[in-house]
Amino acid sequence: MSETRTSTGQAFRATLKRDLLIAYKRKNDVVNPFMFFLIVATLFPIGITPEPERLGEIAAGVLWIAALLASLLAMDSLYRADYEDGSLEQLLLSSHPLYFMVLAKNIAHWLVSGLPVVLVSPLIAYMLNLPPESYLILFVTLLLGTPILSLLGSIGVALTVGLGSRGLILAVITLPMSVPILIAGTLTVQQTLNGASLLGYLAIMGAMLLAAISLAPLASAAALRISVN
Amino acid sequence: MVRPGEHDILLTSMHNLNSRQESAVQRANYMWMWFSKLGSPKWFYELSGKWLPWLVVAMSLLLVVGITWALLFVPPDYQQGNTIRIMYIHVPFASISLAFFPLMAVAGTITLVWRMKLADMVAKTAAPLGAWFTALALASGSIWGSDIWGTWWIWDGRLTSMLLQFFLLVGVISLRSALEDAEAAAKACAVLSIVGCINVFVIKYSVDWWNTLHQPSSGFSLSDQAPNPPEVWIPLVIMIFAIYLFFAVSLILSIRNEILVRERRSQWVEELVQGT
Repeated sequence: MSETRTSTGQAFRATLKRDLLIAYKRKNDVVNPFMFFLIVATLFPIGITPEPERLGEIAAGVLWIAALLASLLAMDSLYRADYEDGSLEQLLLSSHPLYFMVLAKNIAHWLVSGLPVVLVSPLIAYMLNLPPESYLILFVTLLLGTPILSLLGSIGVALTVGLGSRGLILAVITLPMSVPILIAGTLTVQQTLNGASLLGYLAIMGAMLLAAISLAPLASAAALRISVN
Repeated sequence: MVRPGEHDILLTSMHNLNSRQESAVQRANYMWMWFSKLGSPKWFYELSGKWLPWLVVAMSLLLVVGITWALLFVPPDYQQGNTIRIMYIHVPFASISLAFFPLMAVAGTITLVWRMKLADMVAKTAAPLGAWFTALALASGSIWGSDIWGTWWIWDGRLTSMLLQFFLLVGVISLRSALEDAEAAAKACAVLSIVGCINVFVIKYSVDWWNTLHQPSSGFSLSDQAPNPPEVWIPLVIMIFAIYLFFAVSLILSIRNEILVRERRSQWVEELVQGT
């Protein structure tokens, strides 16, 4: 036993830093979801219509669905490498509350996979002819919503981390759960066109985010303990 | 975990304590004894074997009376005509479908906290039944809708949340079948059921929110037809009880199968199968 014990705060920061560093060194995991987002958003005008008016009507939904799918695709890398090299077990054995460790991993994961999607969304919104007054609110809803998607997806990944092929099962588990966020996000963006007050909508999304931050890592932690036995 | 041998010792020791003196503590112990007994698959198998004939008789009686009444004797609705008879199938299935996630979440909590075997069997067998009941509710509703709404499907709040509940149930089933270790699968499905139960309520509210903004006052709700005369709602109540009993019988039969499969190496199952 070493004399110096780390505090939970230090462990939290160390986990966060480590995951960010790993992501920096393995850039594929960062670039792929981002490219996926761009490609899916490109498919909609090709598959549905190139007409600017009709595109503008569906742009918010397209961006949200593309962000949802990109988040799902990115989730796979959240615990897999750690599970395979055994560092996940070390994390479970550590004396720090697993809640904070899971939260740190989720935050790091969102910073490298969710945030780039949010940052590029105004550009795609422009290409899809979203009305300009909705840009800011789309950006804000994605900023509030994509962390929730990551936190919820984390539960699904934690439950299936031991499985060899889990791409489809992860989608079946996670996508229906994401529906409330999809609804909240697209409704809020649509409200900008009606000129209604948005504070209530944003407050609901904020409440969802807070609920997800406080509850989802608990479920992820329980699921990890079950999966890594 | 209490093994079979220890279980008997526990029971007899508690029984001795009970016969000596009755106090609140002992009564609490008695509760625990009943609780641990409830978790014993053999005990449940024997008890449910005694209940089953009565449940089947009651179910058949109610089904025959309810269906005959609903299909032959209920007066045709002044708006919907004979189509109204679909309600007697649809409403019971739809109402019971809403009970599956709470049921699985409670069973899952018991599995996680007390590791009761029977609770996991309930959770395991309830998931496919729930998927079937939800699918039947959707299908019967769709047939009903094809006549009175003129369409088989509409993105109405209730229909959408029902469909999403079906997807969530499928997720639980596929997670169960994907995990090979039975104990890990039980716990993983318990966690997913609890998360799913919360989610079903959130979905319900969010979909209503989404729906009311998109297409206000669809006016399809049952309450529009109120007040209904007794000859319309009495057969409905009978059918609801009949379908609840049908659910209970299906669940008990599935659990009994599951018990036999899981306890196939124990002596009492071998004796049962060999007919001694």
